[in-house]
Amino acid sequence: MSERRVFVLGGGISKMAAERPDGTIRDWVVEAVMEAIKDAGVEISDIEHATTSYFSDHFDKQLKQGAIFHDCVGMCPKPNVRVEGGGATGGLAIRNAYAYIKAGLCDSMIVYGAENMGKHVPSDTAQEFIAYASDFDWEFQIAGFYIAYYALMMRAHMDMYGTKEEQFAKVSVKNHRNAIYNEYAHQPMDITVDDVMNSPLITSPYKRLDCSLLSDGASCLIFATSEWAERYCSTWKKKPTIELVGTGCGTDFMRLADRPWPYPGIAHFRAKRVASQMAYKMAGIKDPAKELDCAEIHDAYSGTELVSYEDLGFCGLGQSGPLTDEGYFDLGGELPCNTSGGLMGMGHPVGATGVNQGIEILRQLREEAHPKRQAVIKNGLGLTDSHGGTGTFVAVNIFRRVD
Amino acid sequence: MAKTKKEKKMTFPKLPDIKDLEPKKRGLVTTKLQVFEALDPMGPEMHWMKEFAHEEDPWKDFRLVEKIQIDQHMTYRHSLGKYSRFFVELENKRFFATKCPKCGQVWPIPRPVCPNDLSICEWVELPGTGTLVSHSISRFIPSFMRDRVEIPYVLAMVRMDGAPKTLFTHMLKNYGKEENIYDGMRVKVAYSDKPVPHPLLLMWFEPA
Repeated sequence: MSERRVFVLGGGISKMAAERPDGTIRDWVVEAVMEAIKDAGVEISDIEHATTSYFSDHFDKQLKQGAIFHDCVGMCPKPNVRVEGGGATGGLAIRNAYAYIKAGLCDSMIVYGAENMGKHVPSDTAQEFIAYASDFDWEFQIAGFYIAYYALMMRAHMDMYGTKEEQFAKVSVKNHRNAIYNEYAHQPMDITVDDVMNSPLITSPYKRLDCSLLSDGASCLIFATSEWAERYCSTWKKKPTIELVGTGCGTDFMRLADRPWPYPGIAHFRAKRVASQMAYKMAGIKDPAKELDCAEIHDAYSGTELVSYEDLGFCGLGQSGPLTDEGYFDLGGELPCNTSGGLMGMGHPVGATGVNQGIEILRQLREEAHPKRQAVIKNGLGLTDSHGGTGTFVAVNIFRRVD
Repeated sequence: MAKTKKEKKMTFPKLPDIKDLEPKKRGLVTTKLQVFEALDPMGPEMHWMKEFAHEEDPWKDFRLVEKIQIDQHMTYRHSLGKYSRFFVELENKRFFATKCPKCGQVWPIPRPVCPNDLSICEWVELPGTGTLVSHSISRFIPSFMRDRVEIPYVLAMVRMDGAPKTLFTHMLKNYGKEENIYDGMRVKVAYSDKPVPHPLLLMWFEPA
């Protein structure tokens, strides 16, 4: 692979919310881009290329939105490409930025991530639009809502390892609590395990507070080579230097039922193991739990975060529950996860989610997060994990502070 | 930071509770729902990072918002393609799978081509019995599903007899009480005599 190195110069986020009645998806993208430009200390006119990250063509009933985002921030006539992989879209967009820069197609790349999912359509319609990401003839027709599949996966995990509902309720408590110190978060909440356990049952074992959110929002990251940054980035070497040092992607059978046994069976995310091993190898990471300082995990449901810890190799299979009881993944624990609040606290506008994760790792590694949600940065390594469907697409990206 | 009012302020300003306009009051736009002044979602105090904070609302000239209603209805002539035989046979109350002639794997959710070796599969009939591997019980389902499933809704993962390597997904019905459902129970395919909107709904699982 080429010797070119890819750095993260800055990021920006629009306020996440159940509804952003003050504008539309293009306005949120502009908001995020304006903030990212300011954070990075660059001019939009100098950026060479864009990657557009959004998941659904149904939510905004607008095809090729990338053209609109690009147009609104003055990037025309420069190149732009759309990346899509369900919930992994944002993570894949970051990977795309890496690939394009590494290959020499450009020296700088802006990533626009966004989704219009809040109250633009009724929530039942939103569920239907999301369900189009399952197999239309074989899954959508009989259970066109993801929670039924995720609940079944979690029940399999509980049967295999004795994982308890209270253990994944703790993930919900942690992520909503972390969001309290994130001013961009959709749903900061100070709640207890009892609150989660007593929230309305949706699909056993998941209750309402075990679920992530339908959010409106956009986010933006700017990547470049060091040579480009030296020339065009006024914050280069003035802010901590963050490099994208590893990226991995994995996939699995579209339908959960078709996956091989015993691993992943229906309890695990094989794509996550493949993606993370790929990324660790690139980044030279041997023991992720010891080496990473922080990680953003795709907590579509609270139990998903537990299973992800295992498939990302943070712990052995079946160990995520007991480690959660010990507070291993809390702020102040061994490996703080979802310091932003994750999909449950920060929000989940699908195309923006993976980009949000990258921005949180950037803030964490630069040590500029709110002090109450700042992790201790020792090795300067952070990870993002985004996945789509029932783990059909996974993207894992690893960032390192190198100054 | 103690749990104070300040933390509460960190959430989005209360969403405007605006009633939609009566059709008579929509003026010249027949689909007009609302016209209102939107709030600044971040507000001047929201930003922890000073460089992004602002004294005055930078969007003050753009706070007027109009909402209109859009209705879209689409009709598809949807093909079931090379999977069609499975669906056609369900009307005959028969359960078909595909078998790979090369590796021998039987795929209970049929596939024209085996992903193990890209060989073209052949149709085989299965007895339609199997074992429940995992399930979930939903209390709420989205409205678009309500014409086709019952509440509570049981989604079942079944290992079909004659297709041991992977699973088949469908709903479980006629189980009596929820306590009667357990992973490892024997189930069988049941067939509908009533018309359905999608041929996959011609079948479901019930206790064997």
